Amino acid sequence: MSDTQWETYEVFHQSRRGKPHEHVGSVHAPDPEMALQMARDQFARRLECVSLWVVRTKDVTGTDYQDPDFFSRSFDKSYRDPKGFNAPAKIEPDTP
Amino acid sequence: MTGQSDEQKLAEFEARIAAGDRVEPGDWMPDEYRQNLIRMIGQHAHSEIVGQLPEGKWIPYAPGFRRKLILLAKVQDEAGHGQLLYRAAETLGKSRENMMDELLAGKAKYSNVFNYPTPTWADVGVIGWLVDTAAVINQTMLAQGSYGPYARAMKRICYEESFHIKQGYDAVVALTKGTPEQRAMAQDAVNRWWYPTLMMSGPPDSMSDHTARAMRWRIKTKTNDQVRQEFVDHIVPQIRAIGLEVPDRNCAYDEKSGHYRFTAPDWNELRRVVNGDGPMNKERLEARKKAHDDGRWVREALATKGRSVS
Amino acid sequence: MTGISPNIPRDPLLKLLVALADDELILGHRDSEWTGHAPILEEDIAFSNIAQDEIGHSLALFTFYSELTGKSPDSMVFERPWKDFACCRFVAYPKGDFAYTVVRQYLFDEAEQVRMNSLLDSSFEPIRGLATKILAEEAYHLMHSKGLVVRLGDATEESHRRMQQAVTDAFPQALGMFETLNGEADLVKAGVVKPSDVLLQQWLERVVPTLTDSTLKTEARRSDGTWNIQCKPDHGGRVGNHGEHLKQLVSDLQSVYRTAPGAGW
Repeated sequence: MSDTQWETYEVFHQSRRGKPHEHVGSVHAPDPEMALQMARDQFARRLECVSLWVVRTKDVTGTDYQDPDFFSRSFDKSYRDPKGFNAPAKIEPDTP
Repeated sequence: MTGQSDEQKLAEFEARIAAGDRVEPGDWMPDEYRQNLIRMIGQHAHSEIVGQLPEGKWIPYAPGFRRKLILLAKVQDEAGHGQLLYRAAETLGKSRENMMDELLAGKAKYSNVFNYPTPTWADVGVIGWLVDTAAVINQTMLAQGSYGPYARAMKRICYEESFHIKQGYDAVVALTKGTPEQRAMAQDAVNRWWYPTLMMSGPPDSMSDHTARAMRWRIKTKTNDQVRQEFVDHIVPQIRAIGLEVPDRNCAYDEKSGHYRFTAPDWNELRRVVNGDGPMNKERLEARKKAHDDGRWVREALATKGRSVS
Repeated sequence: MTGISPNIPRDPLLKLLVALADDELILGHRDSEWTGHAPILEEDIAFSNIAQDEIGHSLALFTFYSELTGKSPDSMVFERPWKDFACCRFVAYPKGDFAYTVVRQYLFDEAEQVRMNSLLDSSFEPIRGLATKILAEEAYHLMHSKGLVVRLGDATEESHRRMQQAVTDAFPQALGMFETLNGEADLVKAGVVKPSDVLLQQWLERVVPTLTDSTLKTEARRSDGTWNIQCKPDHGGRVGNHGEHLKQLVSDLQSVYRTAPGAGW
């Protein structure tokens, strides 16, 4: 049995209902339930908080900074952007 | 990025930093950048957890409910800061186990200032006020640094440190308004902590190995001497405003430069203390080692259980 | 100053408040001794939190006491002689190893649940609000301490051995939390509190199954719906019969304050 500092869990914190969960850091913990408690003491002792999520760091799948092609935009795709169009003016109802 | 030579990668890396961009874990970085940061962040983390001891010692003796709660919260914050910083260092590829082992084996450095004793209650307030002011000045600067996880940790830590400074100052002011013995205790603590705090900003620029590269890669954005001067300019008026003295006869405001002149600390003392020969180095490490050894069965048991639960 | 209505027995009520406040303070003080020395950073932060909460509960109870008597919380804690403290002996024992601390915290947290819940419908209205607030923070304490007990009880040979030793030591001591206070009968009659022996049974109903499930033996046996204790309870704290541990603790606690008792700090 080796003496470790346990696995890490990434912590996501929601300050109020309606706001998104935000990544605030990570904790070392022996299991998910204790990770929630550690996260509460480390990341919610001052900040307002209504919800915490913890995810094992090794369960997070992420992109590679060194592969910028993953996000490449070579050609103009501004057709997807709502700014590129003439919006209809306010439509008046037909007068009888 | 693929197919680039190391020189090209380095040029691109330095250009991004010069443009004010951040470096994140997983980004290509020169090995010297990585090692420099691991060393620096690790030392910073170690300082926080060793730093729990000089003040934590006074929790059982804190005079009054309010002081007791405040001190407990403060020392808890230090553990929290250590936690954030170890994690930032871990993103660069070094494990917390490794860092802990190095600290306890006496192979890692930490801030000199925690190798001094805290013989009186006044030391608690003076540390919170002086030491944490110096720390905040340094950390505010580091929050502008190039490495994302470290900069983010610095922002969070600076916010909490402002509470530390206020509570320390408040505790010292209470002493200056009290009995003659309380006042004397406050002055005595300032006398003992003045030079160690000045040394916190590191060796003078003329003697510092790491500064040039650290500046180019925006690991630091100010030199040690700049940070030290900022601290002195900030704190001297505060000390004098509450009727206490700075234990340095040469400390005086210079109209021409707009800064305070002051006597430089004894750099030999800094070198000795940082390298393990301070008054409390042995005791601090022994305390951390005992906590680590005594706690081994707990870490192992919870890890075992954790595996079988999940 | 707040008044107490004549149907509430004043002296027994004040004694009760002091006993509860002393329990919280002394345990919080012991918990705080782990700051900087816990087995792992995250637990250091967690225990500091629990210590602050317990000391905070003590302050809340003493603040309420001061509204009834005019005696400030600081004067009660930092100027009272150690023999006048009314905490149970349990909370003053040294922190021991982490197993003892965890077991003590768990047993105390379950006692808080039982006691504070029993005060929610007290005939003495102000205490209901206090109990509600304390219960809210205690929910987290119980989750934490119970979580540790359940995990450490049977995780490894060493953790089991240490946890069992801790239970063997702490269980008789913990019974002192339910030592009958002077004047309790009057408080019960006035509907302020429920009887200590009722609270004790409720507490046993909660802790013994949890400990047993975690492979930890206690000296409590159940027969015909009642729990019977087979060990001698560590009583005396409520009547000021304290040991050297509390004497030293209070001496430390008060040492700096007493150098300038009237002054500000």
